[in-house]
Amino acid sequence: MKKKAIGHAGWLWTGLASIVAFIYFFPVLFIILTAFRSRMDTLATPPKWIFTPTFENFYHIFFRAMANSTEYVSTGFHVYFFNSIYISGMSVLLALLIGTLAAYGFSRHPLRGNDTYLFIILTTRMLPPIIVIVPIFLIFRITGLAGTYTGIILMYTAFNLPFSIWMMKSFFDELNTEIEDASRMDGASERSVFFGICIPQVKAGLAATSVFALILTWNEFLFSLLLTNKLTRTMPPAMARTIGGEINVDYGLLAAMICLFIIPIFLITYLLQNQLLRGVTFGTIKK
Amino acid sequence: MSTIELKNLTKAFDKLIAVNNVSLKVDENEVLCLLGPSGCGKTTTLRMVAGLEVATSGDILIGNNNVNNLETRDRNLAMAFQFYALYPSLTVAENLANPLHAENLSDDEIKKKIFEVADILQLKDIINRKPHQLAEGEKQRVAVGRAIIRDPQCFLFDEPLSRLDVQLREQMRGQIKEVLSDLKKATVIVTHDQLEALTMATKIAVMRDGLIEQVSSPHDIFAKPNNTFVAGFIGTPQMNILDCKIIEINSSIMKINTLGQEVKIDFQSPLNVNTNDSYFIGIRPRSFEIVDSSDSNNFSGKVDLIENMGSEILVHIRINESTFRSVLSRSHKLKIGDSINLKPKLGQVHLFNKDGKVIRDE
Repeated sequence: MKKKAIGHAGWLWTGLASIVAFIYFFPVLFIILTAFRSRMDTLATPPKWIFTPTFENFYHIFFRAMANSTEYVSTGFHVYFFNSIYISGMSVLLALLIGTLAAYGFSRHPLRGNDTYLFIILTTRMLPPIIVIVPIFLIFRITGLAGTYTGIILMYTAFNLPFSIWMMKSFFDELNTEIEDASRMDGASERSVFFGICIPQVKAGLAATSVFALILTWNEFLFSLLLTNKLTRTMPPAMARTIGGEINVDYGLLAAMICLFIIPIFLITYLLQNQLLRGVTFGTIKK
Repeated sequence: MSTIELKNLTKAFDKLIAVNNVSLKVDENEVLCLLGPSGCGKTTTLRMVAGLEVATSGDILIGNNNVNNLETRDRNLAMAFQFYALYPSLTVAENLANPLHAENLSDDEIKKKIFEVADILQLKDIINRKPHQLAEGEKQRVAVGRAIIRDPQCFLFDEPLSRLDVQLREQMRGQIKEVLSDLKKATVIVTHDQLEALTMATKIAVMRDGLIEQVSSPHDIFAKPNNTFVAGFIGTPQMNILDCKIIEINSSIMKINTLGQEVKIDFQSPLNVNTNDSYFIGIRPRSFEIVDSSDSNNFSGKVDLIENMGSEILVHIRINESTFRSVLSRSHKLKIGDSINLKPKLGQVHLFNKDGKVIRDE
């Protein structure tokens, strides 16, 4: 057998890999195509692969014809879109802020029994969230947080904090503490050590943590379904309502919503991908 | 005034006592080397001086002022770190400039200082490079440069040469020594490398398990070790430390039994020892000379192993069931199995009691 040069997989393996990649991507592709199909085309069996693309589904997300009328009115869907962006953004920011500070504390100023605290933090992620929904629902009812932006943002922040702390701690642990000591010798205060020396070195970690937190929050369905109301609802439950309760599900409309739904997360992940790769491989290469 | 004084300094990490009641004084223009094996507490001691570690008890005085409660940045010290600790995103010039920012200097003054330091340490060609583009030796010079660019009260160096290769280490040793002698400040260097300590220091403190074993000049540490630990730790190859029993005392000349042989040794002055008691004698491998005849003044044995050391050879000599080592000139043309007679050089035999403490005519 001919020995291949290292660094070149050859056409056969590349071909196989692309088939696997296509299988993974196929559902997404199908949804994207469906978004551009007309109502008639979406229902065709077998699915039509050649069709005239239309934007009517995208239009119908935001404006819908009234019954027995040609007048189009707003569906209010832009509110859900805004809610998703606002709630995810705020909770990721908060989780990142609190998580980074906590992680720095855990890493640099360990408590007595530091590992126990870290373990306890992690246990909150060991159970499926549905288990705690009843007490949380009650707390939200009593405190009046149910249906408010504050409530759901706090919920998601709490939800994202455990792994934000764990991830950021591992990034802080990897840093060379001598550099921090050196800047103390150079006259830096504790605050400037943190902001001037540590934070710039964990940029990759911040990027990785925020993307993971964002994906989790953006796609979260259950809490949003139960803890938001008509005004504060995010995209996932809003999309679900499009399917639920109707006799004829408008798949074209749903697909168009999904397309819009994945754009922000896709863009952010794409923009941060370099940082993300560095973040994920952090510590695997010796300094 | 540039002095550092430690009074009964102790650092405990839970049950582990890393530094145990250390008292030291470093005067102006003095370079003190803290020397010891890994984990002996030397770096912890240095970090306490720098204020990067909080002492459990004891006092630290810098320039006769107690700095126990001062933050690192208020102690006015400069330190070079083992792993250089250069800011990865800054260029050499920016790294050098960083300690000056706290001093509110004008841009021109900062530039002038960078230029001066770059000149002393030959950093001009690499002044705009970033740390990852530098060779080990260059990084090391930048780290030293960053320490000396300010005019601090005292200097601290943590294993400054440990990451360099042998050649570079030799070169840098000279360079740092030269820079330090120009600065005329109290300096503490931490090292586990005895050669570094012996060449750079004006005073050496040997540490073991958090305790100071001996503080002396480099020559005295080598020539007059206080105990078997210092005797064994300083000098390569290691000093031979042999069990012995004193058989006969005749003023300064004693007949001892060691390695199953009776040997007469002249200690040059009478020592406070008793016949029939057990002791250790310490003789450095280089403190032997070959003699032709075997008599009661000599060690007589057989060559067991020969290690090449370049111009010299390290000979393992077997007497009965034990061996000791001696460094001899290559010109002796020894072979394994040869009989050999060695006489310790006058004044180079050390006597220790069973606790390891030296017995010396005070």
